[in-house]
Amino acid sequence: MIRSIVRKEIQVLIKEKGTFFWLFLLPVLFIVMFSAIFGNTSQTVTVRYYDADRTVASKELIQALGGIKGFELKQDDSQSLEAQIEDIRSGKLSSLVVVPAGYGGKYESGAAAEIELYRDAAEDTAVAPIVAMLNSVAAQYKEGNLRAILKSLGNNDQEIAGMMQPPLQVKDIRENAVKLSTVTQVVPGYTVMFVFFIMITMVRNFMRDRDSGMVSRLRGTPMKSHHYLIGMWVPNILVVIVQCTVLLLFGKLVYGLNLGDVAAVALIILSLAVCCTGIGLMLAMLVGGENQGIAFVQIITMGGAITGGLWFPYDFLPKAVQAVGRFTPQYWAQNGLQDIMIRGGHIGSVWINALILIAIGLAGFAVARLRFNQFAGTAVN
Amino acid sequence: MSKVVLEVVQLTKQYGGKQALGGVSFQVKEGSCFGLLGPNGAGKSTTMKIITGILRADSGEALVMGQDMMKHADAVRHHIGYVPQEITLYDKLSARQNLTFFGEMYGVKGRELKSRIEEVLGQVGLADRAGEAVGSYSGGMKRRINFAAALLHHPKIVILDEPTVGIDPQSRNHIFEMIRSLRDSGMSVIYSTHYMEEVEALCDDIAIIDHGKVVVQGSLHELLEQYAVKAVYVEADRLEDEPSGAGVRSAVRSGRGWLLETERPLQTMQQISGWLEETGRTVRSLELKRPSLESVFLTLTGTSLRD
Repeated sequence: MIRSIVRKEIQVLIKEKGTFFWLFLLPVLFIVMFSAIFGNTSQTVTVRYYDADRTVASKELIQALGGIKGFELKQDDSQSLEAQIEDIRSGKLSSLVVVPAGYGGKYESGAAAEIELYRDAAEDTAVAPIVAMLNSVAAQYKEGNLRAILKSLGNNDQEIAGMMQPPLQVKDIRENAVKLSTVTQVVPGYTVMFVFFIMITMVRNFMRDRDSGMVSRLRGTPMKSHHYLIGMWVPNILVVIVQCTVLLLFGKLVYGLNLGDVAAVALIILSLAVCCTGIGLMLAMLVGGENQGIAFVQIITMGGAITGGLWFPYDFLPKAVQAVGRFTPQYWAQNGLQDIMIRGGHIGSVWINALILIAIGLAGFAVARLRFNQFAGTAVN
Repeated sequence: MSKVVLEVVQLTKQYGGKQALGGVSFQVKEGSCFGLLGPNGAGKSTTMKIITGILRADSGEALVMGQDMMKHADAVRHHIGYVPQEITLYDKLSARQNLTFFGEMYGVKGRELKSRIEEVLGQVGLADRAGEAVGSYSGGMKRRINFAAALLHHPKIVILDEPTVGIDPQSRNHIFEMIRSLRDSGMSVIYSTHYMEEVEALCDDIAIIDHGKVVVQGSLHELLEQYAVKAVYVEADRLEDEPSGAGVRSAVRSGRGWLLETERPLQTMQQISGWLEETGRTVRSLELKRPSLESVFLTLTGTSLRD
């Protein structure tokens, strides 16, 4: 009997063309769009400068600034210095490095030469890297002077290198198999987010059966309530599994997403499918109508996406939001997938995630089973 | 005497304090067509849903083949085929897919199911369009498939709830023929409607239900004989005043003529005929009205069935 309902639902689902748009096409569009926006963001900071000195020393300074990785220097010869400062005041430009006239003379004479940084007070975040870069160059100049002094005092290069070595060094050790990137955030993030939209399809299908008199008619057959619920549940689990497979494969083929241990990914996908469709089952039995159901799906889907770390890396979220996020299934799904894809995790490291997701799904089914008689009582008959 | 396949005993049901059924009782014989006649809201659908196990009665029994539906629902449901008032089919699926689904829900499988599907498709006259999506069918065709879906498991009793609402004459005839054929094959049919003509055309036994109670039940012949009012209709020139005659109990305007309720219709006709001739009136119509269930209902409840 369950098999008959499963087969019928799959047949109906295949004929519903709209389902494919919501479940497959739309998430692919989102992944492409957000990968394009965040994935192609240039990591190079552009530094606007104005050389009023135009001496060998000023050119050397600009060359030194331009040689720092991650920064690109740009000069606008078409505008005067005053016009460019005015651009900062009006918010058109965030900062401007000015090498003032006389810089070369002071530098050659050994006096303290100054460079000027004009900046928009409202753009602290954007200007911060430039300030750091300028301080770094100033430190390099200072180090150069010290080296020259030590050399003049008769120290050789090895001795100078020993004296100039900083007492503290930060060693960068990366424990992750793959670095956190736009792809490892966006592809699993949007995959997890969009699978929860299956709940709309579920609510709609249950309301269809309720309002057409189908539920009442089926109650006149030897069918039991759990036959009906499981029969309606399983096809949606299958849809979510196919949906996740398609979206993750898309990420792998188009963006080179590292899937990691496929068996572990499959476990999370299966658990996620049970979870979100279990909630869908519960929702369909609790809500009064389709519109109410859709509203709840939006809250669950969007709320979980924000707090569960689907849109932004979980670590970037405020502590309070992180605390809320841990109660969402989206967090456990995304955390599990990223454990596998970024940290090289296997089934042994994500089984708790899987267990939590399956437990949520089964709880949803239990509530749905308890509510079935009330649901059937409101059915058209 | 025919075996009783369904015995409904003192069914009661309330919806939110409002009484829908107030002790409904009747019996259905094997191989008969039983008509449940009453106006909308009389309690027909509630009675049928209790018999099929969709609803639970507050008290009373519905004994199907001797087993109480409320106690042995699983066993009883295999004996019943229920055709609801609503068309409950999946529009996107073909008729064959819909029938496969319903057949399996009643536990029919494999070759037997395939053979039954072809059989019922032939009965409803839609074998040639069985592969098409039900959504492309006319209302009448959908009703026929809706009916067919309840027959796949060879039920002992088929319950039809207003199966001809909004359908074309061709589909109506198909459904009528199917009902007669099912009855002739030994199946019992319970037919709920508020169309008295349908009951008169199909049913052997009838229960008239109103305000959740069975007003009267018996064979069609018995009810008409016992309760139907005999009447004569007359239409003639210059017949503005109420005509009178032997045995006329009352006369009411009906169309362009008069409907005369009478105990002795033949004598009334004779008298009226003579009087019309004597007074030189041109007679346009003078006829004996056939007794109808409408008049039975009117006699017993004081209201029209269509009110």
